[in-house]
Amino acid sequence: MSVLLAVGEAAKAYGAKRLLDVAGLALAAGDIVILSGDNGSGKTTLLKLLAGLERADRLRMRFDGIEATEGRFPRELRRTIVYVHQHPYLFNTSIADNVAYGLRLRRVAREERERKVRDAIGWAGVGHLLAVPPKRLSGGERQRVALARARALEPRVLLVDEPTASLDAQARGQVLELLRQTATGDNCVVVACHDRELLELGGARRWHLEGGKISEA
Amino acid sequence: MSLLDATREAFVRLFAGDRELWTIVLISLKVSLCALILATPFAVALGFWVASHRFVGRRTVILALQGLLSFPTVVVGLVLYLLLSRSGPLGPWHLLFTQDAMIIGQAIIAFPVLAAFTLAAVHGADPRLRETAVSLGAGPWRSALTSLHEVRFAVVAGVLNGFGRVISEVGCSMMVGGNIAGFTRNIPTAIALETSKGDFAQGIALGAVLMAFALGVTALLGLVQEEREPR
Repeated sequence: MSVLLAVGEAAKAYGAKRLLDVAGLALAAGDIVILSGDNGSGKTTLLKLLAGLERADRLRMRFDGIEATEGRFPRELRRTIVYVHQHPYLFNTSIADNVAYGLRLRRVAREERERKVRDAIGWAGVGHLLAVPPKRLSGGERQRVALARARALEPRVLLVDEPTASLDAQARGQVLELLRQTATGDNCVVVACHDRELLELGGARRWHLEGGKISEA
Repeated sequence: MSLLDATREAFVRLFAGDRELWTIVLISLKVSLCALILATPFAVALGFWVASHRFVGRRTVILALQGLLSFPTVVVGLVLYLLLSRSGPLGPWHLLFTQDAMIIGQAIIAFPVLAAFTLAAVHGADPRLRETAVSLGAGPWRSALTSLHEVRFAVVAGVLNGFGRVISEVGCSMMVGGNIAGFTRNIPTAIALETSKGDFAQGIALGAVLMAFALGVTALLGLVQEEREPR
């Protein structure tokens, strides 16, 4: 399978402490990667480096002919890779506006935008929450809205950080099911997690981060 | 005239639509609103920029803004007077004793309030806010606008506080406006004048309007707060 995202090198240090120093990562279309590692091992930092949200000390990354380095993270790449926080931030508007945010930025025509928002909201099963202000949603509901917001953009690379952390069993099950459905065959999904059920997800690749290096099981 | 008589006379004038009294009220509103319109874009931009950038001297800028919050309005008036007076560097603009001079003075007074509120709001915003906007495809401008939109209630609270400060300030308006009847006489300068003349009824009537403004602003702030933190 052809490589979608190739990371030649990604390194980050905080002061004297080298947090990340990974090289030779490759993601192909259809890949689901479960990224494990202890707390503080750099999982979030790695995902944020790949999403261009944090500046790397050294970065060489290529997606579909577009190259990113520590000094330059092209906008096309930002619009291809979507990162979802462990505790997602929802804008203080409606749920529908949250889901439509990225589509508006991409100037998607109104009718198509509304259709995509409807589809994503239906997919995430949050249609009954449309009238609820985002601040009043539970952790699991916020996570589902955030996944709907990401899915509406049909990102080629989706990076999800600890999506089931601190969720109850029911919310965890719902989020896990959405994550299973997120990998569509022409995108790739990287999920950082501790969750045993996710770690055992069938068909997924496993990366383990330790001492700043990644090993693949 | 006893205090009770003066108060009764004040409300008679208010409800009878006393032309002189309501002209003063309108001048006050016009000057203060224009000052806010003038100051808000620059103050919000500065507050946002200082909150979201690291640069040498940032701490000094923040301290200066905080210091200016309690800067005496009469000193602002004095400095502006010296600048606008005939022999001052801005004398050729012929602005002294005009509403424009009052607007500039009140804009200077409102500026640190607006900037400090914006700065505090943006500085206190959740760091995931900007990351989320960027991750969903927002460029620097759009993510800045999104951040401002998210803290809009705090910015509006700053504007209302700024209004409360300028509508009631007397020092600067008196010095650069000159308290000219029907032109630069606003509520605070008129109260000072009428009280010194012994026309307490006019002073009380204008004081009542000023208090109504203050209560209105407080009520609006309450609504903004309610909107920001829905129960």
